[in-house]
Amino acid sequence: MAIFNIKKRELECKIVYYGPGRSGKTTNMEYIYKTYKKQVVGEMVSVDTEGDRTLFFDFLPMGLGQIKGFDIKVQVYTVPGQVQYKSTRKLVLKGVDGVIFVADSLAVRREKNMLSLKDLQHNLKEYGINIVNIPLIMQHNKRDLTGQGVPVMTIEQMERDLNRQLKVPSFPASAIIGESVGATLKECLKLTLLSLKKQIKSG
Amino acid sequence: MNITKKIKILLQEAELYHTQGLLNEAMEKYHNATKLIKSNEQLKSNQNLINGIINKIRVLKEDIIKIQKAPKKPEVSAEVQELIKKMCSFAPDKSEDLKALDGAIALAKFGQLKRAITEFNELIKKDSLRVVAAKSILRCHMALSSMDEAVTQYEQWISDDIFSTIQLDKLYVFLENILKKEGVDKKLPRRKAPTVNLEPVITRLGTNVVQAKEPEIEDDALDINSIGITIDSEPQEGQVVEFKIRFQLGNIITLLIPIRDKDLIKSFKVGNKINDIQYYSTTALFSGSGIVTLVKEIKIGPLRGDYCVDIEIVVN
Ligand SMILES: Nc1nc2c(ncn2[C@@H]2O[C@H](COP(=O)(O)OP(=O)(O)OP(=O)(O)O)[C@@H](O)[C@H]2O)c(=O)[nH]1
Ligand SMILES: [Mg+2]
Repeated sequence: MAIFNIKKRELECKIVYYGPGRSGKTTNMEYIYKTYKKQVVGEMVSVDTEGDRTLFFDFLPMGLGQIKGFDIKVQVYTVPGQVQYKSTRKLVLKGVDGVIFVADSLAVRREKNMLSLKDLQHNLKEYGINIVNIPLIMQHNKRDLTGQGVPVMTIEQMERDLNRQLKVPSFPASAIIGESVGATLKECLKLTLLSLKKQIKSG
Repeated sequence: MNITKKIKILLQEAELYHTQGLLNEAMEKYHNATKLIKSNEQLKSNQNLINGIINKIRVLKEDIIKIQKAPKKPEVSAEVQELIKKMCSFAPDKSEDLKALDGAIALAKFGQLKRAITEFNELIKKDSLRVVAAKSILRCHMALSSMDEAVTQYEQWISDDIFSTIQLDKLYVFLENILKKEGVDKKLPRRKAPTVNLEPVITRLGTNVVQAKEPEIEDDALDINSIGITIDSEPQEGQVVEFKIRFQLGNIITLLIPIRDKDLIKSFKVGNKINDIQYYSTTALFSGSGIVTLVKEIKIGPLRGDYCVDIEIVVN
């Protein structure tokens, strides 16, 4: 639910990183914070608990500069992925305009990926949003673990599990070394702004 | 693959999952490795190997316990509290007062109860939000597990002149209900004997209208006492009006709107979604929306002319 302020010529939208616990949402945001200094307009705020797990959320304020005479501001959040923080996840999702789903490539997390995607669908629905209508990007994270002696899923399998029906843009990534982190966010911002443009035109 | 190699792979996996914070997954691999060792005559006596794994499991268990013991809703900095308010009042089409209400409710939900009380105290100054905010304050006090504090607060409001007698009576009914449910035997004072019939809806309810189908309430549904709705039609447009719940079936609640409040009926149309409903139960307060599933004029009995409205709860 972006805030479109015609007087101030400002558009403020909200992007949320979603996904199972430990899939790398916070790592994505940390990389953005370190790398895109020009677009980051404030400090990254993290409320976490033991073992670096996100407890409430991470927050990063960004600014994309002027687009067609409008100042574009973006609030970026991550949800806590741990199953028990269900209600917090839902609160963080409130008013979301675009979602990045960070899936874990480790085979042991296969089921958790699918459950988290279901949880996203459910929470969006409670806000009256159909998952097929919201700008959504899929990120298959931790690709660097391939060949490191642990079972890692193939991209094909992850696409089959998570993206067969949705068919949204997806990126193999490695957030820890920053691979495809920027590309994922950029694609999400692109789709979100396009969708907002459509909404503004039709509204 | 020989057994030593299998064990080595399992231990490698466990190690990696541990560093990734995937503690249950790591534990499972250590257990699998232990099982394999125990099933092999030669390895069974390798005390070094076994001790090594026992040690790893101990460290892992400690990590798991630390996580379980960490506070679930710790008090956070004022800066983060501001952020919580902002995050949950992020809506283009709401009045500043309602956004402030959303923000305060969000603080309460994130367990920032003291700060939430401060915010609700500001909202008490707004006529349309006064009772909603006051109830929330009482609830926050109770969540801080100080029932006495809630009572003291109510008593103080009685001696203040912020609230009208009608408003105080609403708070009286609200708090008394909660005390009763909690089994607290305490007589609450009132400013003076009520001059208005507070809950005519309840006292006038006839047997022939609803009693026959008084439903069983599902166990897992929250027991809602009342709701606050922001009215979107004249003459009370923009005001938060409170409705007592007549009864509840699972997540469907039924309100009764008396004929004298006929103007309010315009705000309820079957199939419409009502945003911004504040739901009050004795143990929680939450905001959400609802879908109107039935609007029906009562044709017979003492409530003739009044309206029954069913709303399906959608929790945010
Ligand atoms: N090898 C590897 N490890 C990663 C990658 N991304 C994240 N990690 C590790 O995975 C663990 C969890 O990362 P976080 O970013 O905290 O995960 P999260 O999704 O924010 O987790 P929650 O806050 O619990 O939901 C950390 O140990 C990270 O270092 C990656 O691309 N490759
Ligand atoms: Mg995190």
